[in-house]
Amino acid sequence: MRLWLLFLACGLVTYATRASFIAAGDRIRLPEAVERALRYVGPAAFAAIAIPLVLGGDGLSEFSADVPRIIASLAAGLVILRWRSIPYSLVVGMCSLWLLDWIGL
Amino acid sequence: MQDLSFDRRAALDGIRTIAPLAVPGLPFGMVLGFLIRDEGIDRLAGWSSSWMMLAGASQLAALNLITEGASALVIIMSVLLINSRHAMYSAALRPKFAEYPAWFRFAAPYLLIDQMFAVASSASELEGSSLRYRMWHYLGAGALIWTIWQVSVGLGIFLGDVVREEWSLEFAVPLLFIGLLGLSLSNRPSIVAAIVATIVAVAGREMPQGSGLLLAIVLGVAAGGLAETATKRVSE
Repeated sequence: MRLWLLFLACGLVTYATRASFIAAGDRIRLPEAVERALRYVGPAAFAAIAIPLVLGGDGLSEFSADVPRIIASLAAGLVILRWRSIPYSLVVGMCSLWLLDWIGL
Repeated sequence: MQDLSFDRRAALDGIRTIAPLAVPGLPFGMVLGFLIRDEGIDRLAGWSSSWMMLAGASQLAALNLITEGASALVIIMSVLLINSRHAMYSAALRPKFAEYPAWFRFAAPYLLIDQMFAVASSASELEGSSLRYRMWHYLGAGALIWTIWQVSVGLGIFLGDVVREEWSLEFAVPLLFIGLLGLSLSNRPSIVAAIVATIVAVAGREMPQGSGLLLAIVLGVAAGGLAETATKRVSE
């Protein structure tokens, strides 16, 4: 029972962070400069999550840093910049890692 | 009053757009489920954390803290800190949701995980589309990724250790975020935002429970905004 309440509380806290601004809608007006800067949440957030994950644990989860992963990430990065397709970049990234592991790099 | 009745095409488009972004969650969810099983956490309660929180990284942190015997307050505060980036997502999407009726503005954020933010903020088919289309696109995408998450955590709990470590499937998660990052780099200020956020995130990765991540996003966004202003001044 204690565990259910704990997860429920965690869920409410999570929902609160996500609902904060969207639920408020037009009752919140941010300064225009802030509103414009917020368009860069995507690149800032995804970079801040992705790069430490590739380099090794960041408190989100544990991943060990090694050369094959960094090379496979670079390959996936090139694919996404060139073809702008997540499926392609996932396939190329995973296959690069398997190949590099297989040849024993 | 806007017509917001069910739009099948929009829902299918949403499902199609989110599908490749949802796939990397499968092995992650299964590993999370296996952790619940392996640590002897009540299975039904553990599985329920998936629909109550719908947040992989903070579910993982909460489970780890539970097995370490941390207090409820510590666990809840950690979840708050890890998920604080979602408030940034919420702030960024606020203008796109402001015209919707209150029920949708309160319901939609439940589904606002990283992939949903990526789709809602920048999927190309949403440009210039109607409120109705965008709403059902969001709900279609959310329904798919919600279902995949519940099923994958459930599979991990009830099947156990089927994701073999030597397959390195957990690497799909960093690859997903590299993909989302690549798609989000659309102009120079976005590159500046990404570089600043990367430097701060790497430098601050020892900071407690993802607070370095939040700082990185805030400073990255500020840098992006400043870079945009600077670029405009130069071109004027």
